[in-house]
Amino acid sequence: MGKDIFEILVNGVKLVLVFLMIVQAVPILVWLERRGSAFIQNRFGPNRVGPLGLLQLLADAAKFLTKEEFAPAQGIKLLYYAAPVFALIPGAIAYAAIPMSVPIMVDAFEMFGQTWGPYKFLVQGYEIGVGIVFILGVSSLAAYTILMAGWGSGNKFSLMGALRASAQTISYELALGLSIVGVILLYGTFNLTEMIQAQQGPLSFQFLGYTITSEYLPNWGIFFQPLGAILFFTATFAESNRLPFDLAEGEAELVAGFHTEYGGFKMLLFFIGEYAHMMIAAGLMTTFFFGGYSIPFVSAAEVLAWAQTVCETATGASALTALIHFLVYNVKFALFLWIFIWVRWTLPRFRYDQLMDLGWKTMLPWALANTVFTAFMVYLAGI
Amino acid sequence: MTADSFLFFFLAFVTLVSGLAVVLLANPIYSALCLAMTMVGVAGLFVTLNAFFIAGVQLIVYAGAVMVLFVMVLMLFDLRHELAAFTRGKFTGTVKIATVGLLAGLIVGAIMMSSGMLSDRSAQASDVLKTGADTTKDLGTLLFTKYVFGFEALGVLLLVIAIGAVSLARSKGGTHAKH
Repeated sequence: MGKDIFEILVNGVKLVLVFLMIVQAVPILVWLERRGSAFIQNRFGPNRVGPLGLLQLLADAAKFLTKEEFAPAQGIKLLYYAAPVFALIPGAIAYAAIPMSVPIMVDAFEMFGQTWGPYKFLVQGYEIGVGIVFILGVSSLAAYTILMAGWGSGNKFSLMGALRASAQTISYELALGLSIVGVILLYGTFNLTEMIQAQQGPLSFQFLGYTITSEYLPNWGIFFQPLGAILFFTATFAESNRLPFDLAEGEAELVAGFHTEYGGFKMLLFFIGEYAHMMIAAGLMTTFFFGGYSIPFVSAAEVLAWAQTVCETATGASALTALIHFLVYNVKFALFLWIFIWVRWTLPRFRYDQLMDLGWKTMLPWALANTVFTAFMVYLAGI
Repeated sequence: MTADSFLFFFLAFVTLVSGLAVVLLANPIYSALCLAMTMVGVAGLFVTLNAFFIAGVQLIVYAGAVMVLFVMVLMLFDLRHELAAFTRGKFTGTVKIATVGLLAGLIVGAIMMSSGMLSDRSAQASDVLKTGADTTKDLGTLLFTKYVFGFEALGVLLLVIAIGAVSLARSKGGTHAKH
């Protein structure tokens, strides 16, 4: 086996693993969503199957798989069946580009009578130089799956729901893209790993020749870009079609929106797509505004120095450091996923004109103002 | 076959097949979806040329926004009438054949003119391999220094188009027009 093929194989396995992470997180999130909503609404939620109702997920999956398979007679079969599968692709590809931990340095080792490495093993699907642009570009393709589902179902409620949902996605993409221009200006890079490295240590910045350092706050993006963070987080709610922006499935008007005609596992695939978008949003919030995988006040080098006292080999110490940072990333990540669920069960749905007003007349001007203001401040700080 | 050339031939195959499907399929919806697929393929080809920023913008602007609007509008129409209008007649047939001839000529011409450029590029690529961030910075610098007038003129043109579209839509009452 050649070394090129070995590396391609490792990268392929990594992509599959990231995809499986997304898919495996979905049942847990569904459980959290149902229990969380019950907690918020003063009910019990699913608590019968297994401890804390955790096995409810398995029961649900079995139910979805054994449901009757049907397709609408008026629909277009190709688009109808392709849409749920396509719903998984943008989320999985985009999430694979988010760095989840510091890279693992693998020393040279012997295997199959050959010397391999040394390798630098990135804890992410792949690193891409223009991380943000790539993630935004890929996740903007999700609008097609909605349109394909709506058109392929051959049902006017589905079509109306799909048109609404995709119009909303396109409208909020503008505010989403503009809200992170400030972040790009601030760090001067598109690369997500470099952004995380810029956010390590205590809060410090240079302004008009003075260096200002805080002892109590970490150097996170949220303190430089509070408006950008709020706009970005709001726009991601609309992008993933979650309440209060889930106009796509206003039950009173449109039955269930673009997935009215879907049942069983096909419906579940749309669910996974929606949760994948939530995960991208949570991962990007963590990366842009909350220091990514870095631990506040503790640098990666300090963690590595500690890990070297515990582990014997350099590879083991590097892997332990990566594991610790991975856990830190996941804590922040899970917090944002919880906020997604929390908001869903707290706020009511917008009306459609309110939704469009908010997107075009409120968020877009504020995002533009944020961009101009940040550019001005970055210029001032650089003098 | 190296991984690079495999990637190129795969992406070229996808782009060409979906591009042909845009022209050959009778249903406008399928044509529009295939055009989106073509754009994704072209974005992939940009990535293989190390033009990451252009690839990302291609995805966001063309595949993610412009084509979605096309598909949305197409879905709102009853297409049976237009289908018949576009698939019959000697005149449209002539136009089709002429278009195919023109396109074939363009492709042959492009290949003839650019065959030397590709070998030049591979010679240059070995000494300076630029990352995505570098090319993005270069692009920005060029747009705001050397090509600043053309860039601003395009911006004004887009503004004129936007204002024109709004004023056309609003004349005679727009969506609230009384028939």
